[in-house]
Amino acid sequence: MNKVLKISLRFFLFWIMQVLVFNQLEFGYGIHMMIYPLFIMLLPFDIGIFSLLLLGFGLGILIDAFSDTFGLHASSLLMMAYFRPIIFAFFSQREGYDPLKEPSLFDMGTRWFVLVYGSLLLIHHFWFFLIEIFRINEVLWILQNTFVSIIFSFSASILILTLISKKFRSK
Amino acid sequence: MRKFIAFFERFRVFLFFAFLQIIALSLYVTFLSFPKFQFLTSANAISGQLYTWEHDLTKHFNLSDENSKLQDENISLRSQLPQSLFKLNTQTIKINDSVYRQQYEYLPGEVINSTVTKRNNYFTLNIGEKHGVRIGMGVFSPCGVVGKIHSTSEHYSIVKSVLTKDIDIDVRIEPIGLTGLLKWDGRNPTRGNIVGPSNDLKIPRGSKVITSGESGIFPKGLMVGTVDAVYAIEGEALWDIVITYSEEYRTLQRIYVIKNLMLEEQQEIEKSIPEDKEEGK
Repeated sequence: MNKVLKISLRFFLFWIMQVLVFNQLEFGYGIHMMIYPLFIMLLPFDIGIFSLLLLGFGLGILIDAFSDTFGLHASSLLMMAYFRPIIFAFFSQREGYDPLKEPSLFDMGTRWFVLVYGSLLLIHHFWFFLIEIFRINEVLWILQNTFVSIIFSFSASILILTLISKKFRSK
Repeated sequence: MRKFIAFFERFRVFLFFAFLQIIALSLYVTFLSFPKFQFLTSANAISGQLYTWEHDLTKHFNLSDENSKLQDENISLRSQLPQSLFKLNTQTIKINDSVYRQQYEYLPGEVINSTVTKRNNYFTLNIGEKHGVRIGMGVFSPCGVVGKIHSTSEHYSIVKSVLTKDIDIDVRIEPIGLTGLLKWDGRNPTRGNIVGPSNDLKIPRGSKVITSGESGIFPKGLMVGTVDAVYAIEGEALWDIVITYSEEYRTLQRIYVIKNLMLEEQQEIEKSIPEDKEEGK
C-alpha cells in the first residue's frame, strides 16, 4: 500500500512539475527540459512490464493534454518504458538487482545511474524530436536538439532526485 | 516448448507496446490537422482552469509593456475619430448610410498559456464557444497576426499560432503587391518565411508584410512583419524571403479574435468555381 501511495504521489508530482514549471522555461536553441522520464526510471525493479507501459502511456498522455502536443510525450515515454527492462538487463551486475533497492543515484552508484539513465534519456529525447520534427534533411537539427536537451534534462533530474530522495529517506 | 512460451511472452509485451504506440502516434497525427476531442487539448476544463490560475499570478509581470502597447493602439485609433479631424468642407455631413456595412467583428481575449520554442506552438485563450469563438477564425494582436483557432471548448480555445509548420496565411508584400504564403521553419520565434513570390521583381529589405485578406479569415492590411532578407532558390524562379515578425510572441498577452460576418457568403460563391481537373483526378 505504501508503495502504491508513493508511486501515485510521484506520478502527480512529476506531472505538475513538468506542466507548470519545466514547460514554461523556454531557452531557445532547441532546449526542452523534460524531467518526467525520471518517474519511469525510479519505479521499483520488480514492477511488471505491463504496468510499466501503462504508467508511461498514462503520464505521457496527461502531460500531452496540458501542453498541446496531442500524444507526442505519450509516444516517447512509452518508448522509454519499453526499453527500460532491456537497458537494465544490459547494465546489470553479476548477481542481478536487489528488489529492495531503488534504481536511483544513491542506491546504485553514480556510474550505473549515469549510464542507464543517460541511455534511456537518449532514447526518449531522440524519439521525441524525431517525431516532432520528422524531416530527413533536418537530421542535424534533431541531433542538436537531442543532445542539448539531454544535458539540461539530466541536470534538472539530478536536482529533483536529491530533493525527493532526502525527503523519502528521512521517513 | 519452453522457449516457444518465452518467445510468446516477449511477443505479447511487444504487441501491447505496439498497440499503445499506435494509439499515441495516430492521436498525434490526426490532432495536428483536426482535433477530435477537446479533452486531450489544453482547452479542456481542468487545464483551462489551471492555466487561468497560473495566468492570474504571472500576468502582471509585463503589465506596463502591455499598457503602453494598448495606449499606442488607442492613439492611432483616436486620431481617426471624427472629433480629431478638422473639417475642411463645411458642406458635407456624415450620415449613417448604406454604403458601408460591418464585415468584421472583434472579440477581446487573453493568452493564458503559450509556448514559442516547440515545432508546433499552440496558445490557449481564455475565451471559447460561449463568447462566440469558432474553429477557423483568425486571431491578431495590436502589433501583428497571431494565428487561427484550432479547437474550442465552452470557455477556452486553442490558437494554432504563426509559429507552426503549416500555418499558411495569405500575405502581401507592400508596396510591390506580391502575394505569398506565410510559413515557419521551426527555429527562431522572431523570424518567419514567405514562399510563393516569383523572382522577377526585386524586393527591397524593410518592405512591409501585411495580410492580403483573400481567404476572408483576416481583414486586409493587418501587420505581419518586415522583410529581413531575400535569397534566391537554386533551380527555381522563386524567392525565399525571411521576415521579422512585428509581434513579440514570447510576451504576447492580449489578443482579438476576428469574426467575419460575410465569410459564409464568400465561401458559398467560391464553391461555384469549377474544380481543376488535373487535381481532381
